Amino acid sequence: MTGISLKSVGKRFGDTVVLRDCDLDVGDHEFLVLVGPSGSGKTTLLRIIAGLESPTEGEVFFGDERVDDIDVSDRDIAMVFQNYGLYPHMSVYGNMAFGLRRRKLPRSLIDEKVRDAAGLLGIEELLDRRPRQLSGGQRQRVALGRAIVRDPAVFLLDEPLSNLDAHLRVRMRAEILKVHRAVTATAIYVTHDQVEAMTMGDRIAVMNDGVIQQLGTPDELYERPVNRFVASFIGTPAMGFLTCEVDGPQLRGAGVRLRLPADRLKNVPGKAVCGIRPEHLRPHSGRDAGCVVEGVVEVVEPLGSEQHVILAVGDETVTAKLPREHRFHHAEKVTLSVDPARVHLFDPDTGQTIG
Amino acid sequence: MTARRTAAAAKESHVTAGTARAPRRRRRPWAARSIAVVIIALFAAWTLAPLYWMIATSVKSPLEATNLTPTLWPRSFTGANFQGLFTGTVPFGTYLFNSFFTAIIAALVAVLISTLAGYSFSRGGYRLNGVTGIAVLATQMLPLVVLIGPLYLLLLKAHLLNTYFGLIVGYTSFAIPFGAWMMKGFFDGMPREIEEAARVDGYGRLGVLFRVVVPTSIPGLVTTAVFIFMNTWNNLLYPLTLVSTNARQTLPAGLMQSFTGTFKTDWGGMMAAALITSLPLVIAFFAVQRSMVRGMTAGALSGT
Repeated sequence: MTGISLKSVGKRFGDTVVLRDCDLDVGDHEFLVLVGPSGSGKTTLLRIIAGLESPTEGEVFFGDERVDDIDVSDRDIAMVFQNYGLYPHMSVYGNMAFGLRRRKLPRSLIDEKVRDAAGLLGIEELLDRRPRQLSGGQRQRVALGRAIVRDPAVFLLDEPLSNLDAHLRVRMRAEILKVHRAVTATAIYVTHDQVEAMTMGDRIAVMNDGVIQQLGTPDELYERPVNRFVASFIGTPAMGFLTCEVDGPQLRGAGVRLRLPADRLKNVPGKAVCGIRPEHLRPHSGRDAGCVVEGVVEVVEPLGSEQHVILAVGDETVTAKLPREHRFHHAEKVTLSVDPARVHLFDPDTGQTIG
Repeated sequence: MTARRTAAAAKESHVTAGTARAPRRRRRPWAARSIAVVIIALFAAWTLAPLYWMIATSVKSPLEATNLTPTLWPRSFTGANFQGLFTGTVPFGTYLFNSFFTAIIAALVAVLISTLAGYSFSRGGYRLNGVTGIAVLATQMLPLVVLIGPLYLLLLKAHLLNTYFGLIVGYTSFAIPFGAWMMKGFFDGMPREIEEAARVDGYGRLGVLFRVVVPTSIPGLVTTAVFIFMNTWNNLLYPLTLVSTNARQTLPAGLMQSFTGTFKTDWGGMMAAALITSLPLVIAFFAVQRSMVRGMTAGALSGT
């Protein structure tokens, strides 16, 4: 079993810098998720770990062994591709057995391994079919099967669920975790979907502009984002941001009044961007007069048990996730309150978390 | 077709929705359709007339074939022209064998080299990749007649005139640039994930090429091979220049020299020979027609 370490890994394509100074330690058996928007460099980082790209700078280690000079075919990895990458001229069985045949395993052992993996994924009856005869979900299972059948030390998954419909995606998430538990390999999973990241990862690395912004458990990223990007990327609907100025013991902005403990304000350089998650806003009751947000309803999105209310607060907008008991109407003036401990503060220039 | 119609109908209904009219698919007026049919029929006649003439003449007697008043439909049918090809003085069987032998070997050799070259042009990350590709393609810009002179001299010095080997070298030298670019086109359209998956599965570059890329490019390979076979089979200039003995002559050059004499031309024999010469091409085309069409359309790999 193998942990993975990246030390100051960088990658350039010509003059374009794709990755900068990436340090990452993935523990043995860990399920790490790389998440970020398109073009953030997460797939390139995964491909460097796989050996399909070589880093321009830095080093990659599997356990104690440096692997940047080792060819992809000699690294003990398995990979699931976004478009599955199944061999169209081979049956499902052939696809799964292809890597094992290369290792010159006895035919009976190959057969046993393929059938075991097919059993785990529920694709035994598909073994004689060609990839083109399979649905998207079935192809996905075959791609997973091809990866796990090899008992790899490292298991890499590049947005494997992005081509599936929403319903199937939720089912396959659970299935991938089940498979990971069964094979106990170190897994790195790339996705742009933060819900996938939060529900699947032991730890998550949030990437943007070729830099790992923050590495932590889902709770750490949610509770203590290091900067505005991470704060806005993690959580649905996204965190709202309101610009405020320090005014004595409180922060004030257009439609915002936040009374915060003095120790939280001591590092604020006159101005701050306050981040408030939609689920932390609640209808104003009069008791918590210290932290108030006043705005005008722009859009109401009813979701059955709850509703998302998008408010214009000064020139900015925030979203509130509220219970359905209160009915809101377009252009209605609304006052909401928030627990001061739930307010995040960011430097308006650098976007870094303050205090 | 149905899908296109549905899409067109949807588009039309979208356009007319504002005026609250029921969506209706416009029909082409019968006059326009009749004109289209007539034009298509004329073109078909234009294309098929020489073929018909070839077939009709091949079964006419020598007297009827050379009659000053030509007959559209043969007055009597004879197989003598075909029989004569194999019993007469013209070594038709030898020509046929030579044509088959050189065209098949040239197609196989050219496809093998074109596959390697095309894959390298498509995937190679080396510095001169683009330049090499263009340089190879540039040789296609030169007319055949320009290349034949130097080729003749080279083969003369190498004592390869009047040999199969010399002919095959000539054919492949002209077919490879075209074949390499055609194969490059196929490889460009092939998703890289398949190759990367094979690399991850433990295969080296050549293993990936021959176990994954080539088997998934069969339509491309067949298309390229058939094109090269057809070009080679039809080639007149090379055998005419590089071969001067009947024992090594191929069909196009052999027929041209054998059936036209100073005082008379054996039209029936020539047309019978032409018909047999055309058959392999027609068969080759129909045999691989489907894969040719699949190969020529982008995204040939629907299985991924």
